Amino acid sequence: MQRKMRGRGIAASWYGIARTATVDRAGAWAELDDGGTAKVVTGVTEIGEGILTVLAQIAAEETGVRPEDVTIGDNDTARSPEAAHAGATRQTYMIGNSVALACREARDKLFAEIAEHWEVEAATLVAFDGELRAEGTNLAMSMTEAVDICKKRGVVPVGSGHFTSHGTGLDPEDGSGRPWQAYVFGTQVAEVEVDTVTGEVQVLGIWAAHDVGRAINPRGVEGQIEGGVVQGLGQALMEDYQTVDGHTTTHGFAKYILPTSLDVPEITSILVEDPDPLSPLGAKGIGEPALVPTAPAIMNAIHDAVGVRIKSLPASPEKVLAALAEKEAREAQKPAAE
Amino acid sequence: MPEIDLSLHVNGRKVTRRVDPGARLLDFLRDDLNLTGTKEGCGAGECGTCSVFVDGKLVKSCLMPAAKAQGTEIETVEGLARPGELEAIQKAFHKTGASQCGYCIPGMVMAATSVLREAPEASMEEIKERMGGNICRCTGYSKIIEAVALARDVVTGRATPDALEPERVGDSFIGSNVRRLDAPSKVTGRLKYAGDMVMPDMLHMAVLRSPHAHAEIVSIDTSEAEAMDGVACAITASDVPGTDGFGVFVHDQPIMARGKVRHVGEAVAAVAAENEVTARKALAKIRVEYRELPGLYDPEDALADSAPVIHDYAPDNVVKHIPLRKGDIDKGFAEAHLILEDEFATQQVEHAYLEPEAGLAYVDADDVVTVISPSQNITHHRHMLSEIIAKPINKVRFIMSPVGGGFGGKEDMIYQGMLALAAMKTYRPVRLVFTREESIIASAKRHPSRVRYRMGLTNDGRITAIKFEMLSDGGAYGMSSEGVMRKAAILSCGPYEVDNIQVDTRVVYTNNTPSGAFRTFGGMQAQFATESMMDIAAERLGLDPFEIRRINMMRAGSLTHTQQELKSASIDRVLAEAEKASRWEAGPAGMRGPERGDLGGPGTRAPCTLGARFESKAEKKGRVA
Repeated sequence: MQRKMRGRGIAASWYGIARTATVDRAGAWAELDDGGTAKVVTGVTEIGEGILTVLAQIAAEETGVRPEDVTIGDNDTARSPEAAHAGATRQTYMIGNSVALACREARDKLFAEIAEHWEVEAATLVAFDGELRAEGTNLAMSMTEAVDICKKRGVVPVGSGHFTSHGTGLDPEDGSGRPWQAYVFGTQVAEVEVDTVTGEVQVLGIWAAHDVGRAINPRGVEGQIEGGVVQGLGQALMEDYQTVDGHTTTHGFAKYILPTSLDVPEITSILVEDPDPLSPLGAKGIGEPALVPTAPAIMNAIHDAVGVRIKSLPASPEKVLAALAEKEAREAQKPAAE
Repeated sequence: MPEIDLSLHVNGRKVTRRVDPGARLLDFLRDDLNLTGTKEGCGAGECGTCSVFVDGKLVKSCLMPAAKAQGTEIETVEGLARPGELEAIQKAFHKTGASQCGYCIPGMVMAATSVLREAPEASMEEIKERMGGNICRCTGYSKIIEAVALARDVVTGRATPDALEPERVGDSFIGSNVRRLDAPSKVTGRLKYAGDMVMPDMLHMAVLRSPHAHAEIVSIDTSEAEAMDGVACAITASDVPGTDGFGVFVHDQPIMARGKVRHVGEAVAAVAAENEVTARKALAKIRVEYRELPGLYDPEDALADSAPVIHDYAPDNVVKHIPLRKGDIDKGFAEAHLILEDEFATQQVEHAYLEPEAGLAYVDADDVVTVISPSQNITHHRHMLSEIIAKPINKVRFIMSPVGGGFGGKEDMIYQGMLALAAMKTYRPVRLVFTREESIIASAKRHPSRVRYRMGLTNDGRITAIKFEMLSDGGAYGMSSEGVMRKAAILSCGPYEVDNIQVDTRVVYTNNTPSGAFRTFGGMQAQFATESMMDIAAERLGLDPFEIRRINMMRAGSLTHTQQELKSASIDRVLAEAEKASRWEAGPAGMRGPERGDLGGPGTRAPCTLGARFESKAEKKGRVA
C-alpha cells in the first residue's frame, strides 16, 4: 500500500421539516408602511441561518417593495406573534409561509383600494421592486404613492397570517403516525486521503445534493450546506467530548478540537427543488439535513481508500492506525489458515 | 485595588484611562471603551474572536494584559472603516454571505485584513493558513475564504471594485442571492449580542457550580457571601417562588440544584454583585456541604437492576423508549439470503457556538420580569418561567437577542431562571456571561449513541428486514432527549422502504454532562449506522453503493418506517445529482482497482501539508510590498 491512499464514499439521507410528531404553528403580522416600505412582525431572530434576509425576500416578493425596505420585528414574547423556536429546520417553512400569508392579506387590502382608484380589476395589479402597475394598461405608480393613496382613502393596509404543519403523534405501541407533512432528501459524496503512516484523514472534496423544496436564497442555502458539512466533518474525524467519572477532560478549545479553515474540503453544493405542495411558498428547509450524510460518507470513503471500516466516531488517527494494524494482522494470518 | 494609568491610541484617537493592572486588553476595550466588536469566544487564545491589531500586528486581545498596551497603537474592527462605510474586505464578506451568526466575524475580518496587509498576493492555500487561527462554527469557512480571495483580487487590481457590488435581481426576489441584511452590522462589529449589552445600574452574576457528579446537598450557607461589600444578593433553589423545573419535554431540571446535584458543573447557587470580580470572589464564600452518591457514567450501567437512581420519578433511569414496529421481522429475516449484524457508536459532541451563553434580566415599570438572551425557544421559556416564578404569562417577557450560534445548544433554559430570580430579588438589571469552560460543562451536548444493527437482504440487494436498537446517554437531565429518540427512531432506517422493521431507541439518565438538542436531533447518529450498513451490504453483494440505495429507496407512495404514505420522494433526484456532479465511477466498493479515474479531479482541493512556505526569488520580487 502506498503511504497516502485516496478513496470515495457516498451516503444518502432523509429528514423531516418542522417540529416532530405534533402540530406545528407560527404567526406573523404585516403592514404596508409609508414610503413604500413594509413592516413585518413575527417572533423570529437570526440565529445565523439568514432567516431575516429570507423573510425580507418573501415579504418583498409578496408586497412589491424591495427587501431592503422591509423592517422585520424582533423576537419578543410581549410584542410579536408566536413563531416559537429557532430550530427543527422550521424557520423558512413555518415562519416564511406565515409571513407570506400575512403579506398577501396586507397587499390585497392595498390592491383593493388602488384598483378602485384606477377603476381596474384588482387581479390585474402587479407590484414588484417598489413599483405597482395594472397589467394591460399604462397605469403605474411607486409603492410610496400607492400606500399614500390607500391611506388617504382611509385604509391602513395591514394583514396577519399563520401557518400550520399537520403532524401527528406516534402510536405508543408500533410508532405509526405522520410525524411531518414535508420531507427532504440528500446525498453526499466524499473524497478522502488517508495517511497510512499517521492515520490522519483529510477530506478533499464533498459533493452535496440536497432537496430544499425551493431555494429562496441559493447562496444562503449553500452556506447552510457548507456549515453542515464541516460540522459533520468535525464529528467524523476529530470532535470528541470526553468525561472521566462525569468530569470533562475537554474543557476548552485546546482540548476539544474543532475544524479550522485548513480542514475544509472543496464543497460542491447541488440544490434540488421538489416543491412542497402543502405550503404557499413550496420551500422546505436545509439547516439540519445538510449535516446528516457527511460523517457516513467520509467513513465509507475511508473504507474505499484503505479497506478499514470505522464504526465508532470519530475516526481519529489513533483509531485509523489501529484498524490498519488489525487489517494487516488479519491478512498476514490468512495464507497460513488456508 | 492598585491601578495603573494607561495611555495609548485606539483607532487613531488618544485614550488615557486608569485601569486594573490585571485587566486583559480585551476587557479594557470592551468594558472601559465599550468597543464590543471585539468578542470573547474562549478567553484562551484558541478561537480568534478577540483579534485586534497592536502596532500593526494581529494579536489575540484575551492573551494580552492591558498594561502591556501602554503607548501602543490599537486598531479594532470598529476602526477599520469610517462610521457608516465598509472597507473592501467587509464588502466582500457582505457580498459572499460570509457572515452567518456573526460572532466570529469581527475577528475573521481582522484576520482577513491582516492577510491583505501582509500578503496581498496570497494564494488560496496561504489565505487558509493565515486564517487558521480563527474558528467559525457556522459557515464551514468556504464563503469566508471566498470573501478574502475576492477582496484580495479587488485590492490588488485583479478585479474591479464592481466585483463587490450586489448581484442583479431578475424578475423575482425569491431565488435570488439578496445580500444578508444583517451583514453590515456583523462585519463592523456593531451588532450587540447579549453579552455586549449594558443597562444603567446593572449587576453582574456569577454561578457556583457543582464539583461532584452525583451528591446530596446537605446544606448551603450564603450568608458570608451576601454580607460582602458590593454583593447585592445570593440565590439558591430556596428562592424559587413557584413550581421549579424546566426541560424541553420533561421538566426535571431545577433552575439551581435542589436537594442534590446530578452532574459536574450544575448550578448550585449564584451571586449578583456590582462587578464580575466581586461576584466571583463571593462564590468562594458560599459554603456547600455535599454527601457524595455513587454515580452512573455508562448508559449500559444505568439499565442494571442495582443501578443508583438519578431521578426519583424514573426508578429505571429510562428517560424515554420509542418503539417502531412495521411488518413482521421474523418473516423478513427468513426471506433474506444475507443477514448482516454490526454495532456502531457515536461520541458526545459539543456545539461550540462561538458566543458563550449570556443574558440580561430586569423587572420593568409594569412589573414584567424580562429576560434578554440568545434563547432558541423564547415561547417555551416564557411558559416555563411563568410557572417557576409564579407569575401570569403576561408578566413574563422573553426577548431573543442575536444568537451567536445555537445548533440546538441554546434551547435549554439553563441560566435564564437564575437571572430572573436575581432581578426580582434586587429590582436591578442583572447580567450573566458564561466563560467558555462554564459553557462546556453546563450546556447540553449531542447524544452519544450505540446502535446494534441487524439487516437482512436478498441476493439482488433488496432489504427484507431491519432490527435497529439504539441506546443513548442522556446525561443528568432530560432536556431534549425524548424528542431526539423520537426523531432517531423515525429516521432510523434511512430513506429506504423496508417492509419489516423493529426499531427501539432508548435514552437513559447518567451523571454525565447532559445531552440535548443538536442539529439533526438524533438523525445523524441513526443514519450513520444505516449508511454504514448499506455500504457493508453493497460490498458483500458486489453492488455499486448508488445501486443498492436505488434498489431500496423510497418512492412516491412508499410507506415510511412510521407507515406514512409519501406523496413524493426526491431521493432519486439527489442520488442522480450527486452521482453526476462527483463523476462517480460505478463499481462495487473496494473493486475499482488502481486504475480508477475518479480521484483528484475537479471539486477537490490539494491535501494540506503545513510547513515552511518556499518561494523563488523571482516570486518574491514580484510581490507587492
